[in-house]
Amino acid sequence: MGKTIDIIKKTRTVPEEVKEKRKEFVRIKKLIIKSLKEGPKTIPQIAKESSVPAVEITYHLMTLRKYREIITGELDDMDEYFSYELNNTK
Amino acid sequence: MQEENKNREFDVLVIGGGIAGQESSLNLANMGLEVLLVEKDYSIGGKMIHLSKVFPTLDCSACIATPKISETARHPNITIFTYSEVKDIEKSGKKYIARVIKKPRYVKEELCSGCQECEFVCPVYVPDQYQYDLVGRKAVYVPFSLANPRVAAIDIDNCILCGACEKVCPTEAIDFTMEAEEIEIRFKAVIIATGFNLFDAHNKPQYGFGKFKNVVHSMQMERQLVPTRPFNAVLRPSDGKMPDNIAYVLCTGSRDKSVGNPLCSQVCCMYSIKQAQLLMGALPLADVTIYYINIRAFGKGFCEFYQQSKTMGVEFVKGKVAQITETENDNLIVRYEDIFEGKVKEAEHDLVVLAVGALPNPDVPDMFKNEKVELGEFKYVKQVDRFACPARTSMEGVFVSGTAAVPLDIPDSILSAGAASSEVNSYIKKLGI
Repeated sequence: MGKTIDIIKKTRTVPEEVKEKRKEFVRIKKLIIKSLKEGPKTIPQIAKESSVPAVEITYHLMTLRKYREIITGELDDMDEYFSYELNNTK
Repeated sequence: MQEENKNREFDVLVIGGGIAGQESSLNLANMGLEVLLVEKDYSIGGKMIHLSKVFPTLDCSACIATPKISETARHPNITIFTYSEVKDIEKSGKKYIARVIKKPRYVKEELCSGCQECEFVCPVYVPDQYQYDLVGRKAVYVPFSLANPRVAAIDIDNCILCGACEKVCPTEAIDFTMEAEEIEIRFKAVIIATGFNLFDAHNKPQYGFGKFKNVVHSMQMERQLVPTRPFNAVLRPSDGKMPDNIAYVLCTGSRDKSVGNPLCSQVCCMYSIKQAQLLMGALPLADVTIYYINIRAFGKGFCEFYQQSKTMGVEFVKGKVAQITETENDNLIVRYEDIFEGKVKEAEHDLVVLAVGALPNPDVPDMFKNEKVELGEFKYVKQVDRFACPARTSMEGVFVSGTAAVPLDIPDSILSAGAASSEVNSYIKKLGI
């Protein structure tokens, strides 16, 4: 039996806005992963390095954390910021 | 299974699968009546399943809600349609006929095991409505961890049609050919348990929600306090910093004629006090300030709970917040009138929580064909005999349960559901059919 995705593709197209949003997520995801390859970092550190607003990094990083691509590291000495690192066990 | 549902007869149609709808359904089912519970969301559970703790006992909300959800889902006299909506209801002799639309979730409920394999391979990320947009979710997803049924669904509007989910599904549950199904149901009585809507904080632009990164609403904070939280700890959305000076702005969208809602929402004072206590536990060094007009601690144990929060160090400021502005470091300046001192003051916080109120659900009146269920002054379903028969509405055989009638806390919603189910049982017995 064929896959049902082939049937829906005949009647439905993907809106450009959806494609663009996905591209944007992938772009920021790559920047976060690139930054964390060097070692654990806090959200402001990743934001500064990638030139992406910290609020955007928070959203994307927490989403990646939800899907276990990133794990939580240590809290800094000032008890303000957690560091995050790549989940190399995944 | 779906064929069997067509043209079925039930004793009672319950619209809404929140705590009031579940309680009404269970009571009626235990009386031996056949109940159809229609829920518009992917899961039953309503708002309660997303809460952290309940006030004033600080019991785990999910620990109370999940047994009831399971009991509802497993009861032999209750049929549940999730992701379904009542299109219309029409009177037919002594009975009613409803047309219910079962929307396609593109996942066969009977086959999905909730393993989330599809979710992990899906390449699309969109804001997660069950975490109030604080994090993302996939286009195919199990709505939330305690969902019942725990079945995935495809958000077709955000799906890029890559087919990855269908490839990996071990039970071949993914089915992109699913279509909406219209089902005709006959029944003797209906309970409206459609609950309330949260006030949209965007409609109070002077508070900066959606504009200032560290202004969140109370359900976003509630999610931050549950074990299945969006972040690893309570954090500021702007930069992931642990906040140490948090403000609550009570009556955001309640007791406020300027936004068209003069009613008190009944729960905001107490849930804010509850959250403040939980924050003191999660962030022991943080200061929490609650800006209020009046603290309405009217229920059993509420006043003691309020006093307890004071002894824990929560600061209460009697003052109406006029405006919130943002500083360069994403902190927030709260401008308020100190009512005791009669002065306008400003205070700086690093996170502001807007205690949003309850609004009536506007979907109710249009469900009924040829007739409309009457609404009260504040657009909730009108209780025509509030003291003698609190569940009775303007239409014969149509009853109301929970916050569809008036803002209520959880215990009062359950009481209201009990009243509705006993009134429905009496009505059906008198009907004699």
